[in-house]
Amino acid sequence: MSRSLVTPLFVLALASIAAMVVSVGTGSVSVPPGDVIAVILGEGSSLQQTLVLELRLPRTLSAFATGGLLAVAGALMQVLLRNPLADPYILGLSGGAAVGALLAMLAGLGGLIVSGSAFAGALLATLMVFGLAHGTGSWTPSRLLLTGVVVASGWGAVITLMLAISPAQRLPGMLYWLMGDVSYARSPSPALALLFLVCLLVVPLGRSLNVLARGPMQAAALGVSVRPLEWTIYVLASLLTATAVTMAGSIGFVGLVVPHMLRLVLGNDQRLILPACALGGGALLVLADTLARIVIAPEQLPVGVITALLGVPTFLYLLYRSR
Amino acid sequence: MLNSLLLPALLSLSLLAMGQSMPVAAKVCVTDDTGANVCLEQPARRIAALSPGATELVWAAGAGDHVVAVVSFSDYPEEASSVVSVGSHTRVDLERLMQLQPDLVIGWVTGNPPEQIEALKDLGLPVFSIEPRSFEDVSHTIERLATLAGTDDVGFAEAQRFRAGIAAMERRYRDAEPVSVFYQVWDKPLMTVNDEHLIGKVITLCGGVNVFGALERLVPRISSEAVIGANPEAILAGGMGQENRHWLTRWEAFPSLDATKKNNLYFIPPSLIQRPTPRMLEGSRLFCEKLDDARAKR
Repeated sequence: MSRSLVTPLFVLALASIAAMVVSVGTGSVSVPPGDVIAVILGEGSSLQQTLVLELRLPRTLSAFATGGLLAVAGALMQVLLRNPLADPYILGLSGGAAVGALLAMLAGLGGLIVSGSAFAGALLATLMVFGLAHGTGSWTPSRLLLTGVVVASGWGAVITLMLAISPAQRLPGMLYWLMGDVSYARSPSPALALLFLVCLLVVPLGRSLNVLARGPMQAAALGVSVRPLEWTIYVLASLLTATAVTMAGSIGFVGLVVPHMLRLVLGNDQRLILPACALGGGALLVLADTLARIVIAPEQLPVGVITALLGVPTFLYLLYRSR
Repeated sequence: MLNSLLLPALLSLSLLAMGQSMPVAAKVCVTDDTGANVCLEQPARRIAALSPGATELVWAAGAGDHVVAVVSFSDYPEEASSVVSVGSHTRVDLERLMQLQPDLVIGWVTGNPPEQIEALKDLGLPVFSIEPRSFEDVSHTIERLATLAGTDDVGFAEAQRFRAGIAAMERRYRDAEPVSVFYQVWDKPLMTVNDEHLIGKVITLCGGVNVFGALERLVPRISSEAVIGANPEAILAGGMGQENRHWLTRWEAFPSLDATKKNNLYFIPPSLIQRPTPRMLEGSRLFCEKLDDARAKR
């Protein structure tokens, strides 16, 4: 890998680590920095250990994994559909996940079952779009996009219906899930492992993705087998999104805007953009979640509010500067 | 004769002595409303109440002094508002809660997020989850909380006072003339309760007949048309009367309604009957008075 690829990634990695340090070091209860280090070295009071190791650290890692997964999935979808408005949810995946999760909540179930049925719903939505977009005729990204968008509207209607008929006391939980919230996340390790694996996997694919981003005709002419590559991207992006949604509900904005922000700064080389998205998306969500925890503590804000409030001005600034 | 007086006295003296020498020996176990067994090695001394209703019930059980954490809207009794808040019942700030080092958490089965309750259990905290659905549940919850906090004297007396109060009203209104009632929980969207809801049970207690009692959902959303079709004799709204006057004035536009014709439009302070706590006794008395007033206008 050339130096021009390594430097930005190194900077982003430093930023991610800084974000995580801030996140683990702050909360509604103040733990002095020295004590945080003591706790990480295995000392400190049992209360501080609970706060840092059992509440903050898993949540920080979950936020990082979720943000990274969403940003990579968004970048992949934008390449696949050759549409700047594409985000991980554009093909109705979050809708399927939401219906699964809300059904579980409506039945009064919690925890693992909600996550499990969200994942099942996401996979169902993926398979539906996969099957329907194939149809009898030829397959094109625009056909995939249309199928996905229409299926997504269908899920939207089902979600509204479920909200309308669900008992009042279950509504807050459902609405918070729909807004996205890292506090639902349990163990972050599978998602972190997936994020790492996918980064390793897409870097060798990067060259082909770069060609594909210029259009399928050119890619085919340059010897890229377009169809298998497109399906690989679709399946990968779906898996990433399903994992992220399962962890933290449908957090918006990260998947749409982080890839664009990084492209404005770093250029459109997929070999660089995809790992950069993993780091940048992760760092953004970690920072946003930290703010969400402390802004009006002890009350907590949904993290999606903060991602948008942080991201919108940053993005507009970058866009304005780039002309 | 002397023996029968002396023996209990001696017994209680020796019990008292035992109690002083071995204060830790009292392990207590109760079953919560999810069916889970909650055991404490010693009476709870740092209680976190994760709903405004739970806060009131803990106070009713005589353990108010031991409450170290509440959630927003815990406004009764007045002392509760000076206790540290750990967020709202839909989203608890787990960090702040852990900092207060509670030895007992009172959860709300349908109100608190199940993930957070599970997280607290994983952290090793005993969680007693409540979901009172009847008058007897209110008494029974107070008794169980008193057992957990070691305040049986106060708690069981309060539970008994509530039980007796409800029983007295049941006797008084058993043969009262039925009044058809519409209870308005909320204005937009228009919401009411069915017979399973505690407020529905207050209506029945007072000899009222809830016109939407047979609906399946606990808090059904309905149309104004359905209310006009049901033509209740009295309409009661959960409100204070000042800030939500329009909740009842909307019915004055329909002079054909019996409730409007007879001016049987009443407000009930919602905090008195919308929380499953001993204050329901006072709320129920108010509710019954309104229905008595409606009967008097016949």
